[in-house]
Amino acid sequence: MAYKDLREFLAKLEEQQQLVRVRDEVMPEPDLSAAGRAAPNIENGPAVFFEKIKGYHNPAVLNVHGSWANHALMLGMPKNTTIKEQFYELDKRWSKFPVKPRWVSCGPVKEIKIKENINLFEVLPLFRVNRYDGGFYISKALVISKDIDDYDNYRKQNVGTYRLQVKGKDLLGIQALPFHDIGIHLRKAEEINEPLPVAICIGNDPVLTFMASTPIEYDQSEYEFAGALREEPVELTKSETGNLDIPCAAEVVLEGYIIPRKRNVEGPFGEFPGSYSGARLQAEIKIHTITHRVNPIFENLYLGIPWTEIDYLMALNTSIPLYRQIKDSMPEVVAVNAMYTHGIGTIISTKSRFGGYGKAVAMRLLSTPHGMPYSKIVIVVDEYVDPFNLPQVMWALTTRVRPDKDVVLIPSAPGMPLDPTSEPPGMHTKLIIDATTPVAPDVICRETELLATPYKTDEWEKIIRRLLNEKGVSK
Amino acid sequence: MICPRCDSNTAEKIVDAPKDKSWEVYLCSTCGFSWRSTEDEAITDPARYDKKFKLEPAVLDSLLAIPPVPPLKESVKKD
Ligand SMILES: [Zn+2]
Repeated sequence: MAYKDLREFLAKLEEQQQLVRVRDEVMPEPDLSAAGRAAPNIENGPAVFFEKIKGYHNPAVLNVHGSWANHALMLGMPKNTTIKEQFYELDKRWSKFPVKPRWVSCGPVKEIKIKENINLFEVLPLFRVNRYDGGFYISKALVISKDIDDYDNYRKQNVGTYRLQVKGKDLLGIQALPFHDIGIHLRKAEEINEPLPVAICIGNDPVLTFMASTPIEYDQSEYEFAGALREEPVELTKSETGNLDIPCAAEVVLEGYIIPRKRNVEGPFGEFPGSYSGARLQAEIKIHTITHRVNPIFENLYLGIPWTEIDYLMALNTSIPLYRQIKDSMPEVVAVNAMYTHGIGTIISTKSRFGGYGKAVAMRLLSTPHGMPYSKIVIVVDEYVDPFNLPQVMWALTTRVRPDKDVVLIPSAPGMPLDPTSEPPGMHTKLIIDATTPVAPDVICRETELLATPYKTDEWEKIIRRLLNEKGVSK
Repeated sequence: MICPRCDSNTAEKIVDAPKDKSWEVYLCSTCGFSWRSTEDEAITDPARYDKKFKLEPAVLDSLLAIPPVPPLKESVKKD
């Protein structure tokens, strides 16, 4: 089943006791970020909806994606669905790609139009996310832009999530890294000194936000993927300017353009590795038009030392494309867990076709578009080890690794500049740990006999979970 | 007004709270730092702002540009 907008999903979360409402008035600082930090600290933490924020007219919601329960509900699954089941369900729906969007003439997002005297603070209850951030950030919006060389090709249109620093009533800073799709759009526009039109959509169907943060290929459409995952086409409408396709049920859309060939101080920002990025010179966006729903909801995201909302949001959507890209040429691969800091740490389970296969699988990961810059620590385990079950992974590390031959370092490889260990920023030494059992012609040290899982264990897991549910225990 | 982060005298009020004027937001045009009047003194007072996060105006131009500005295409240069 599909949610038509954020509001419908929030209603579902509330019905399932996965949303709390704060009715008392709160201060923008420190209350919002403190609640955004607190919610994912709670097991299966809820979304937190703030009805009244001092000095502002509109409400805000945080932690919408911030637990496995909320993530399962996003997929229309029971809230106690295991991570591995969510992984395989996502993989199944991935096969339905592409599901083409539907264009409709207008949407709720056009209820109110502002074309003069733009003031972001009038519409959005902005707040500081982490204490030493350079300003107030919009951290969970869909940023939509097009390839100016092929402007009418909606597949090359990008829907991505990038951090946006508020730098004035109508000015934002954006972090567009060169390997991001918007970085490609920006380079092409700047090479000919043209402004790059963007639409920034805030408060969306949760699957759209999920897809906007998924590393898919340049000419694949996030909207067609979202259609596949929600099993219904996404409804789009046109932005007021720039001919961009925007979700017709967004809460708020900020329209503007990236100012070409200009960089200004941006940051720092508390980032997903759990540390501050430095201050850098980055591009800026001039906002000239805002459209929004009546009483729009500001959906934003707190991120800090993992795990916070972003880690749920960026967990399985990073795992699935990596899994598919590796499995494509290595069908022995069973599952990929790239849940740790956007795949900086990745665990792969695989059968081994021949000696050294585990290392080959790791090297395949390190040559995928996302794994190349992001993945730094790769652990490969046997096919019967659940890569989402960390005690099992630790079992493999402690009983399957011979450090003298199974641990490999690859110096001076591509890296993720926000990882504080990347040196220079954007380069890593990669670590591969092959925790698979040796197969011929590798030297098999000693034959071992594994303990088998009792017959009907899967069935009993389901029975026990159902019994817990019936008693109202939400584990 | 003095910016708590870079100590330049280039900060100005950019907005009042949309409701009840319950706070103001200030922005520094030198380093881009912004803050709300209701934040605590460790954020709003230049003397108490954490030294680790201070920014010297002199270093701003030499910060890393991400992404770097690409060269103009030859066809554009000729125009
Ligand atoms: Zn300053």
